[in-house]
Amino acid sequence: MAKIPVTIDDKPLEVETGRTILEACKENGIEILTMCHLEGIGDVGACRLCLVEIEGINKLLPACTTKVAANQVIKTKTERLKKYQRITTELFFAERNHICAVCVADGNCELQDLGYKVGMDHVRFPYLFPQANVDTSHPMYVMDHNRCIMCTRCVRVCSEVEGAHNWGIKNRGIEVRVISDFDTPWGDSTTCTSCSKCVNVCPTGALWPKTVVQGQLVKQPKMVSELVAKRKMNL
Amino acid sequence: MKAKKSILDENLSRNDPRIKQILAKLKKESYRPDALIEILHTAQNSFGYLPMNVLAFITKELKVPPSRVYSTVTFYHFFSLKSKGEHTCLVCTGTACYVKGAEHILNEIEREFQLKPGQVSADNKLGLSTARCIGACGLAPAMVVDDEVHAKTKPEDVKNMILSKIGARV
Repeated sequence: MAKIPVTIDDKPLEVETGRTILEACKENGIEILTMCHLEGIGDVGACRLCLVEIEGINKLLPACTTKVAANQVIKTKTERLKKYQRITTELFFAERNHICAVCVADGNCELQDLGYKVGMDHVRFPYLFPQANVDTSHPMYVMDHNRCIMCTRCVRVCSEVEGAHNWGIKNRGIEVRVISDFDTPWGDSTTCTSCSKCVNVCPTGALWPKTVVQGQLVKQPKMVSELVAKRKMNL
Repeated sequence: MKAKKSILDENLSRNDPRIKQILAKLKKESYRPDALIEILHTAQNSFGYLPMNVLAFITKELKVPPSRVYSTVTFYHFFSLKSKGEHTCLVCTGTACYVKGAEHILNEIEREFQLKPGQVSADNKLGLSTARCIGACGLAPAMVVDDEVHAKTKPEDVKNMILSKIGARV
């Protein structure tokens, strides 16, 4: 594979063509905050946490969906980016009803970890407190829309890896919600295979098995990444 | 050979002319899953809106996931899951129409038919909606009743105009 020169955070690097900026950073040990990204499933650039600055381009671009180009000068840790990362994180919290103390994922939550990483001490925006439902109709799992951040990992893993297409997205903007089939109860789904992949990749406490209690949830998002990698090996 | 599908969802018959329109469109598009939006357009045109059993029917025929059909329908404002009423009344509230008194027309309709924009009358006869601009600014204030454009609408004429369309007092 042809290699192209790029500069990331003042470090001159050689990166294979066709790689995304995020992949290039990972290969070279440069940390980039992500939320909707998960190894093994397609990237959509939904969470806006991996935004990077590229010299010569005015707008910030998501590292997960932007491919590296020759001689790009990329910055991942500027003050401007840090400011936006914190705002984005705070908006995640303000958009739904996130209360860590009563959450099943407390201590094992990617959103909570992100809050620590960006140095969030409080949320500067007023919580919207939207009316959101909890769907307990599935015999094994619960979908709590109060804790969903619309990363769409569950939607993508269900269609790309499991191939069941149970999850979808309804509406637009602030009204968006994850849906099962025709926005019908999860338990009535005609497509769900109860494979638990969505539960394991969900970064927050929005999807969880009924067998755990507050603060006891442990997820295995890597399970899906490993599965996808193993499938490729068999080819 | 495809299995014969005889029993559809409740209230849906293959002899229904509206279902026939959808089936014709499905055939024309060779049952391609990516023709979903075109099929939904046809369905909305023949039914006036998209009832759930019609969505289930399209899902089955096109072999696309239910969640994708529902996502598509809720994403585009053109599609509606609720009945817009047997007859529709669209009042343009674009700049020209607004200046020429679109608000008086809306007030008159609200007084006469107890309808606000976006609402449908209790007997499902009349639905009222507004548009940002229908591109007929020279006709301001413009109003569209059942695809018939009325130019330079006067509030006092609105009541009879609508009644003549819906046939009876709402």
